[in-house]
Amino acid sequence: MRRFIHCMFSLIFIINLTVISSTLEASSEAEMMNGAFQSTYKPDPSPKILIKNGTLLTGTGELLEKSSVLIENNRIVSVGSGIDETGATVIDAEGKWITPGIIDIHSHMGVYPAPSLRSNSDGNEATSPTTPDVWAEHSVWTQDPQYTLALKGGITTFHVLPGSANLIGGRGVTLKNIRSVTVQGMKFPNAPHSLKMACGENPKRVYGNRNTEPSTRMGNVAGYRKSWIKAKAYQKRLEEYESKSAEAKELEYAPSRDLELETLVGVLKGEILIQNHCYRGEEMAIMLDIAKEFGYKVTTFHHAIEAYKVADILAEQGVCSAMWADWWGFKHEAYDMVWENVAIVDQAGNGTGCAIVHSDSAIGIQHLNQEASKALAAGKRSGLDIDKARAIQWITLNAAKGLGIEDRVGSLEAGKMADVVIWNGDPFSVYSTVEKVFIDGHIKYENENVEEFERTDFDLGIIDPEGDRL
Amino acid sequence: MSHLKLISFLSLIFLSSNLLADNHSVILIKNATIITASDQGTLENTDLLIEDGIIKDIGKNLIVNDGSEIDATGKFITPGLIAPHTTLGLQEIELEAETRDDSTDHYSAGFSIAKAFNPASSLIPYNRAGGITSAIITPSSASGIFSGMASAFKINGALMTESMIEDIALVMNLGGNKDSRASTIMSLEDSFEVARRFAMKRSSIMRGDDFDFGDYSIRDLDAIQRLLKQDIPLVVRANRASDLLRMIEIANQYEIRIIFAGAKEAWRIADTIAEESIPVIIDPMDNIPSSFDSIAARLDNAAILENSGVKVLISSQSDHNSYLSRQGAGNAVTYGLSKEAAIKALTIHVAETFGIADQIGSIEAGKDADIVIWDNDPLEVSSFTTKVLIDGENMSLMTRSKRLRDRYLEKLGLN
Repeated sequence: MRRFIHCMFSLIFIINLTVISSTLEASSEAEMMNGAFQSTYKPDPSPKILIKNGTLLTGTGELLEKSSVLIENNRIVSVGSGIDETGATVIDAEGKWITPGIIDIHSHMGVYPAPSLRSNSDGNEATSPTTPDVWAEHSVWTQDPQYTLALKGGITTFHVLPGSANLIGGRGVTLKNIRSVTVQGMKFPNAPHSLKMACGENPKRVYGNRNTEPSTRMGNVAGYRKSWIKAKAYQKRLEEYESKSAEAKELEYAPSRDLELETLVGVLKGEILIQNHCYRGEEMAIMLDIAKEFGYKVTTFHHAIEAYKVADILAEQGVCSAMWADWWGFKHEAYDMVWENVAIVDQAGNGTGCAIVHSDSAIGIQHLNQEASKALAAGKRSGLDIDKARAIQWITLNAAKGLGIEDRVGSLEAGKMADVVIWNGDPFSVYSTVEKVFIDGHIKYENENVEEFERTDFDLGIIDPEGDRL
Repeated sequence: MSHLKLISFLSLIFLSSNLLADNHSVILIKNATIITASDQGTLENTDLLIEDGIIKDIGKNLIVNDGSEIDATGKFITPGLIAPHTTLGLQEIELEAETRDDSTDHYSAGFSIAKAFNPASSLIPYNRAGGITSAIITPSSASGIFSGMASAFKINGALMTESMIEDIALVMNLGGNKDSRASTIMSLEDSFEVARRFAMKRSSIMRGDDFDFGDYSIRDLDAIQRLLKQDIPLVVRANRASDLLRMIEIANQYEIRIIFAGAKEAWRIADTIAEESIPVIIDPMDNIPSSFDSIAARLDNAAILENSGVKVLISSQSDHNSYLSRQGAGNAVTYGLSKEAAIKALTIHVAETFGIADQIGSIEAGKDADIVIWDNDPLEVSSFTTKVLIDGENMSLMTRSKRLRDRYLEKLGLN
């Protein structure tokens, strides 16, 4: 009830802003934590820039030839043709392609940084199978040199998840690909938190090898359900307390905060989005039933190798799948890979499927466009009718949907954050590279001006004292 | 050893004469863009004639009276791709130790991986459909500093597959262990010493004379001796520039031939590597400074090496997707490698490096007809194979992946 009142109150103030976001949802928790751990990222106002004459893949399903994007004051102002140039710095993008900033929904940059050392491997709190209390953002190393490599591949936003050792691995965080000493300074403002869950082999291997629960898939499922039962009970206690009168509240202590259960209750309330590592079709169906039992939603299945086997169910229930183009065989649950997985998920439910191409790799994240291209080509070879205008959504708008930030990024639309990539050619070609990356209207990478490029601390003087990593 | 070779030579003659007698076959591929990976470069609108599994002729307007014709208008032909460093045929599922044969705790240098090769491995059809026709199968690890010996196989899937050549290179790792790399180098030098002493007195030792074998078996010492006689090269998996330089020193001192694999920092010493004529196997996409041994990793490693005159071979890091070496080659071109060199890095450079260029690796008359027809530019990620021939035989491009795809396209009503 208090949360509701707070929301109504905020709404009055926010209503005039162009973008109404899930800020409202996140705010009750922010208030409880006295505003701690909020994003401190505030871009300076950006100049008026017109990128014109390019081939646009808008992320909304359109390919626009000879078109332009006008950005100003951190936002996309207009998209299309015949835009007034007055007062704008003009970038002629003739022969170039323009896409929204690329978004990777599955990354471990920062929590498994390079170089990979025992002392900086901070992605798996593999000391208990359920650790909803840990937050990936509290592990993130802001000087991981992998960020800048990803930026050169057009990545403007990425989601950092805990690893998959645990059934419930902790909260993920959405970051903008900007350099900041603090993780708060990288945090995507008001992006919903996520909760990483993991099906299958990894948790049962990690804990089974220690002769503790879980050691089987049924043990996994028991583990999730036991956690949600506790979460339900905690939620009930919170609600009971909240429903009491002010006088009654004075007479008893408020329920004590519980870091683990706060996260799970956040999921039950729809404020925290489930990112569920899950390879096998039947396991996805089981996970959906667990969600049904406890009344929450799975937002995205990750590494969904067998999503094509349950693509109709996923489309019907509005669950996204984040997939590789062709990885397979590293474990049994990754054995039934099909090259057309992404395309099939996309086309399921009469084209209502939500397909996302993810990397889970510091190499793959630099070439997410190529992964999408392979997946598109495979789909076309099998006769599915998909074009580039739609396929670009796999690494832009659909990824944004999977992160609950599609109202702010993922497409070239007026009012959205000015995260824009200029490519020297068709991004579905192996030969194309990124020429310019804008984040919130500011150039963050320019291939013609590599010296100006803001490197991480790690990059400086590391090859030799005079030189920087490129 | 020579006895075995003789047998396989004889059986080869027997097989070929069989082919001649029973299955005289002629295939003419018309009007393709042929990327020969030879001095002939790329030939437009050209025909390719295959007779009895061998490339017979390459030219314009070739005619045959009797035989099958394939129209390849608008298509590209390359030599079959050769995976230069892979465990194809040695594993099914990476995390399931029981499905893997690429490592041992028992043997060292003498660990001959060819004995484990499974031509029916489920990985092979995927990679063949992706354009790989031959593989240098390489052991991952063995006892001590050596990982064992690599062998060359064609991946035509026949259960009776014989290796092209067995035990064609010795393999080792340098760096990245808990033990000091100095200790690795010293153990290597020590092993040379033991192998040399063993070789000098081999026959008397075999008759019963005492010999301190240390950690080695007879097989191990024989393998090391082959390296010292320059009969086979040593594949050194290392990344750090200073490690590569150290190995060049060792190679010169002991007069052995070496090949670098991994070599993420090779660009820093490209001129030296070129001077020493050392071939380098890389994954051009791996620009991650994943350890302090590869801090200087970068995307134009291949291009810098080529410009210095180094022979570059391109590999994929995923053995299940060995065929993705093609994507690596495409990326190497994006970052400066010539297209010609990129195709060679997937074909003839591998064959030359491992001494099988008389049979495979380029499209030249007299070579095995291991060829791939592509629907478009073979270095482009959206391209794919339309035909794969090994020894002139049309390979099935069916895979479990396609079977599963078709089953579910039908179930979902998307077919």
